[in-house]
Order: sequence, then structure tokens, then C-alpha cells
Amino acid sequence: MDILDAIHANLLSPAVLFFGLGLVAALTKSDLKFPEPLYVALTIYLLLAIGFKGGVAIAEAGIEKVWLPALAAMALGALIPLWTYPVLRFGGKFSAVDAAAIAAHYGSVSAVTFIAATNYLKAINQPFENYATAFLAVMESPAILVGVVLGKMATKSKGGSDFSSIKTAIHEALFGRSIFLLVGALIVGWLCGKPGMDKVEPFFVTPFQGVLALFLLEMGTVAGRRVGDLKKVGPFLLAFGIVMPLLHGGIGVWLGKVAGLELGGATLMGGLAASASYIAAPAAIRLSLPDANPTFYLTSSLAITFPFNISLGIPIYYEIARWLYR
Amino acid sequence: MNTYPMKLVTIVCEAYAQDTVTKLLNEVGAHGWTLFAVEGDGSQGKRPADIKEFANIQIEAVVQPEVADKLLERLANDFFPRYAMIAFESEVRVLRREKF
Repeated sequence: MDILDAIHANLLSPAVLFFGLGLVAALTKSDLKFPEPLYVALTIYLLLAIGFKGGVAIAEAGIEKVWLPALAAMALGALIPLWTYPVLRFGGKFSAVDAAAIAAHYGSVSAVTFIAATNYLKAINQPFENYATAFLAVMESPAILVGVVLGKMATKSKGGSDFSSIKTAIHEALFGRSIFLLVGALIVGWLCGKPGMDKVEPFFVTPFQGVLALFLLEMGTVAGRRVGDLKKVGPFLLAFGIVMPLLHGGIGVWLGKVAGLELGGATLMGGLAASASYIAAPAAIRLSLPDANPTFYLTSSLAITFPFNISLGIPIYYEIARWLYR
Repeated sequence: MNTYPMKLVTIVCEAYAQDTVTKLLNEVGAHGWTLFAVEGDGSQGKRPADIKEFANIQIEAVVQPEVADKLLERLANDFFPRYAMIAFESEVRVLRREKF
């Protein structure tokens, strides 16, 4: 299977097609709109379901298999902002606080990109480590904290204000709804193990693909409504939103291999490194770095990187992994 | 019936500013506030409220005139540069002056 076949197979999955349908709905100004509480409810379901499944997988595989690649994933998440920051600051001429905010988003991860990657691997019958959800869980916060510290260092001279304290950032990065649900469900799944899974399977596993399709339809409309903002962010961020994921995807796959993962797990690690957060990071950054312009980080992660990853990125990371594992 | 003059301060802002604004209301001496979700469009772009990142809220507080002055000044200095936000005051008349 060459790369074009891989991309083709990915584009014809229900999840990606529904995302495209959502985009079309927004671009054609259809009146399709999900109420905000439904978006929140779908997010909660997806995070609980993958967290729980991942926790059960850790119980089955044993923690001794998981900790090393999880540590590698965590380190990668924390390190990504350290090189994306100078690229944005000096290459893209962004203000220090904007560069720090965008860097935090690209170091942090997107759960739905991760789910799309596992779906892709299932569709092409490529086995993968189910406990990879643990990497997703540990990669979410470190980059946000690093990004906030970078941004604070840059804006300190202007006189700090109490309402954008580092404490807010830490609280939001560790207890924000997405990280809280994911880590919480992971622990619950880990404690329950397989017998617990048997009890909740009809709710968390069987309808999962349908809920995901619904969520991606919504994400398509959300991303589509931001298309107008692409003009505001400029060509640099547009290129950044595609080139950085490719670079990070490659690094993630390589790191996965070094940490001892199989081909499937390394592909997932690549997808995680390539993804940009649009739930946990925006909330934490808006509260702790209010001087950063949300149009930049939201548009790049939501309207550029997320669509790129779920359509073309994931099959490309898989091909990189296949090449590395030859 | 006797009514007393007060100021109604209305703040329309992005949902993420909620906690810091309500904290400020407490600090300057407002005795209560009301909040509701709204949608709109303005200089910082459309806020279609499809996800929380693009949601808007309206906060209203009835306060004494000197509290309104303090509140608007703090909003103008600390909040306007950072958040998508407008604020304005209007004259209202209330019953039970001691509540405000």
C-alpha cells in the first residue's frame, strides 16, 4: 500500500467524511448548528470512553510496559514548545506572548486526532498498543505549563496582574475538564480492568463510532466557521500549521520506536506529537495569558492543523512509521 | 412608592472572563449580579457561541453610583486591553435601597 492508497483509505472513513460534511454545512451557510451543551456532552462521552478503554488496556498490559513510552511522550510534549516558540517569535515575528500561546497548543495534544488515528489503524488492520491512551493523557498538560511560563517570562516586565497568575494556569492545566475526565477515566478503567469493561461495553464501546461521527460533524461546522479567520492569521501561521505537524509527527514516530513501541503505537505517538490542542490549551491559555490573541492559536489548531491531521497527516505518519520499521 | 436612584452596570464579554469579572464585582463592592449567555458580533469578531471559546456572556449589576465609577475604571484599565469586552452604565431606580 503506498501513501496515496493510505490517504485514500483514510479520507473515505465515516469520521473524516462527516467532518467534511460539517465543513460544507458551514461554508454553504446552512443553518445546521449544534447547541453548545451538546458539544460539551459529546466531548465528555468521547473522553470518558477512550480514557476508560485505555485504563483497561493498562491493567491488561501491566504498568511496567507503559511507563517508559509514557515518560518519553510526556518529555516530548514539554519540549515541543521550546523550539516552536523561537520559530514563531523570530521566524513568524509574533509577539512573545502570542508565540508562547501557540507553542503551548502545539505541544499539547488533541484527543480526537488520537481517536481518528486509532480508527485509521483499525481500518487498515494494523494492530497497536491499546494503552497508548496513557500517552494522550500525559501529553496534555506539560506543554501548557511550559507555554504559560514562556509567556509569563516575556510579559513580566509589564507588571503582572493577579488575575492571570501562574496558579490559574496550573489549576486549569491539571484540572480542566478534558484532562480531568481523561485521567480520571483512565484510572477508573485501570482499577476496573476487564470485568469492568464487560459492564460498560454496550455504552462506551458499541455506540462509540456513531458518537464520534456526530462529534466530527460538529467539529466540521466549528472549523468551517473559522475559515474567514484564515485571512487574519497570515501565510506564516498557515504554513506553520502544516509543516510543524509533519516535523513533530516524524519525531513522535521515531521516539515511539526508540521507546520500544510497535509500529502501530509509534504511529499513534507520531499523531499525538503532531496534533494541537483545542480544548484544554485554549481554556488554560485564555485564563492565564489573556494578552495573547485567541484568533491566532484557535484558528491554527482548529482550522488548519486538526483538519490536516485527520485527513492527510495520520496516513503520512503511518507511512513514516512503516519506513522506519522496515 | 418610594424609589431610589442607582446605576445599572452592564458588561458584555467573552465567557472566559467570567471568573475574573465576578471577582472584580465583589472587590469593588457590588452586592450581587446576574449573568446570561448571549451571542453577538463586534470589533473582535463574531461570537457565534458554538463552543465555549467563542461564547459571550452578559453580566448585569445594580450598584451605588460610586461603586459604578470604580468598577468602570477598573474594567477600562485592566480588562479592556485583554478581553473582548464592552461595559456601560445606565440610570435605574430601585426599591429597597439597602440591598445595593
